[in-house]
Amino acid sequence: MKVLFFHLMPYADLDLDYQAKYKTDWVILPNSYFDPKKGHALYNRYLDELELAAELGFDGISVNEHHQNAYGLMPSPVVMAAALARRVKTAKIAILGNAFGLRDNPLNLAEEHAMIDVLTGGRLISGMVRGIGAEYYSMGANPAFSHERFHEAHDLVVQAWTRPGPFAFEGKHYRFEYVNVWPRPYQQPHPPIWCPSLGSSETIDWASAKERRYVYIQNFSPVASVIRYLNLYRQTAERLHGYTASSEQIGWAAPIYLAASDEQARAEAKIHIERLFSKFLNLPFEMMFPPGYLSAGSLKGMRAVKRPATAGGSMTIDHLIDAGIFLCGSPDTVRKLLVDAHRKLGFQNFLANLHFATLPADLTENNLRLFAREVMPALQALSDKQWQGMETQAAE
Amino acid sequence: MNESIVDIRGAKLFLRRDGAGEPLLFLHGVQGLPGWTEALSRLAERFAVIAPDHPGFGRSDAPDWIDDVSDLAFFYLDLLDRLANGRVHIVGHSLGGWIAMAMAIRSTAHFQSLTLIDSAGINIAGVPRGDMFIGAPPELGKLLFAGEAAASRWAAQWQASPELQESYDKNRAAAAKYTWQPRLYDPRLAKWLHRIDVPTHIVWGDADWLIPPAHGEALQQQIRGAQLTLLPGVGHLCDIEAPALLAETVGSFLAELQP
Repeated sequence: MKVLFFHLMPYADLDLDYQAKYKTDWVILPNSYFDPKKGHALYNRYLDELELAAELGFDGISVNEHHQNAYGLMPSPVVMAAALARRVKTAKIAILGNAFGLRDNPLNLAEEHAMIDVLTGGRLISGMVRGIGAEYYSMGANPAFSHERFHEAHDLVVQAWTRPGPFAFEGKHYRFEYVNVWPRPYQQPHPPIWCPSLGSSETIDWASAKERRYVYIQNFSPVASVIRYLNLYRQTAERLHGYTASSEQIGWAAPIYLAASDEQARAEAKIHIERLFSKFLNLPFEMMFPPGYLSAGSLKGMRAVKRPATAGGSMTIDHLIDAGIFLCGSPDTVRKLLVDAHRKLGFQNFLANLHFATLPADLTENNLRLFAREVMPALQALSDKQWQGMETQAAE
Repeated sequence: MNESIVDIRGAKLFLRRDGAGEPLLFLHGVQGLPGWTEALSRLAERFAVIAPDHPGFGRSDAPDWIDDVSDLAFFYLDLLDRLANGRVHIVGHSLGGWIAMAMAIRSTAHFQSLTLIDSAGINIAGVPRGDMFIGAPPELGKLLFAGEAAASRWAAQWQASPELQESYDKNRAAAAKYTWQPRLYDPRLAKWLHRIDVPTHIVWGDADWLIPPAHGEALQQQIRGAQLTLLPGVGHLCDIEAPALLAETVGSFLAELQP
């Protein structure tokens, strides 16, 4: 299994009383709440944490894109990937993801990803996402065209990376007379494409298609959803697309906290993981799912489900651990949980979110070191030999 | 009230009709129509009212070749070519007013008159509009109405049947498609308003927080000979909040026009 360290880079110095005046830390929270001097210290601390992960033997380190909020301070993950590119010598650098279709000009992003790939000698993993609903408010992008633009931007970018240029691209949303990207990507035919998601059968249908076979990552979800969607990927590949997906095509991303004992881990993580949901990922339904962002059917489904991202303060550490959203405990506890999950699901990618919300630097470093020493080696040794297979699970 | 479906270039458009007299095409607003409203009923006492659900809204198709208000304008000009036997009073509310102006700058051949009610379509520097998408339902109610009673009555109308509940979501998705960016206006519309050459009446709720009345005043200055009437203590959805006053205000202006 490949293990990556995933960072959100939240604004950990956020005035946590902001809710007395503002209902959310997304889109409408004034940027006067951001202190550039504190931001300077945080950025450098977070980059140190990512570089430390690379030294500790993680297969990759990962950054991501969010706009105009305190939850994630990387409106351009490309900037952070570039900042990491020279010091990190062997680990993969994963941008999970960039919202190509949110851009009026996705060709710029295609160029920037190609630059990182060339600079790192082919260590870029390129994540493609639609972006969560709030970004459509922040970036003035029309959510009703979100699917169309995502697909079209993808086609444009992959063609830009793979077709000899110059050529013309004639889409509905994007039109270029000369597509001729310099530099071309280092990896051939193009950097691996990953699709992180909160759970979407539409994304799975698309990502698992025979001509794409993109890696699908289930994010921040109850373990029941992880099981459902990772198995759905394999079933969709088999039944809809007529091939057997490899275990390298699926992955799981989850927040993790480790300490010497289960009790200590819970006690240290409690306030920070609860803040992740109550203070940082505090998204009203209308911001998470603007009109047109989901199909009518998906919107109906979302209304019926209580989701961590829109549930606000009701997410206690006990609930998060019981639901399998948050993996927390001693190294033995968490290792067993992950090895068991792998036995059932066979995923060959795991993204460990070892910093969240206000978790301080010392606890984050302990968490990284403990995970790297006590859990990661066992995960990296896992292959399909330890997976029970789809049939066994179906029979259970 | 009669319900029918007309096919325009492969897209099914749902129409409600009632009343007798001069024909009046009512183009609904950005929230869509929760059925045959009291305002329509009152207009139908004096006119032959035709009220479609816009493409993408209510019971009409959502054709993928209609992307913006410019497309909607040509679509409705096609509808008028099909339906109109002579000239028609065009009454547009909110998004419907924007569509009506976009039609009128292209051709007023079928227009008897133009009535714009709390109309979207233009931007005035320094006068912000509200955001009908970002808030939860109670905040939306405050944005769209002057009074709480009308807001609750309107919210309840959409809960009346599963079909209306579905329409509510469908309408919001269509509204986003047509109005999200730039929000509720076309930066190119204002420079062509001089082309509107039919009697024009601008009607505005003076408590419209979504599209404040300054927009009505600006339209009055930009459309030749336009009259402006403010409705006191009424919000953006004046057809729901003050149906009798609205129908009387619209109807009496049209009655005074020379045929």
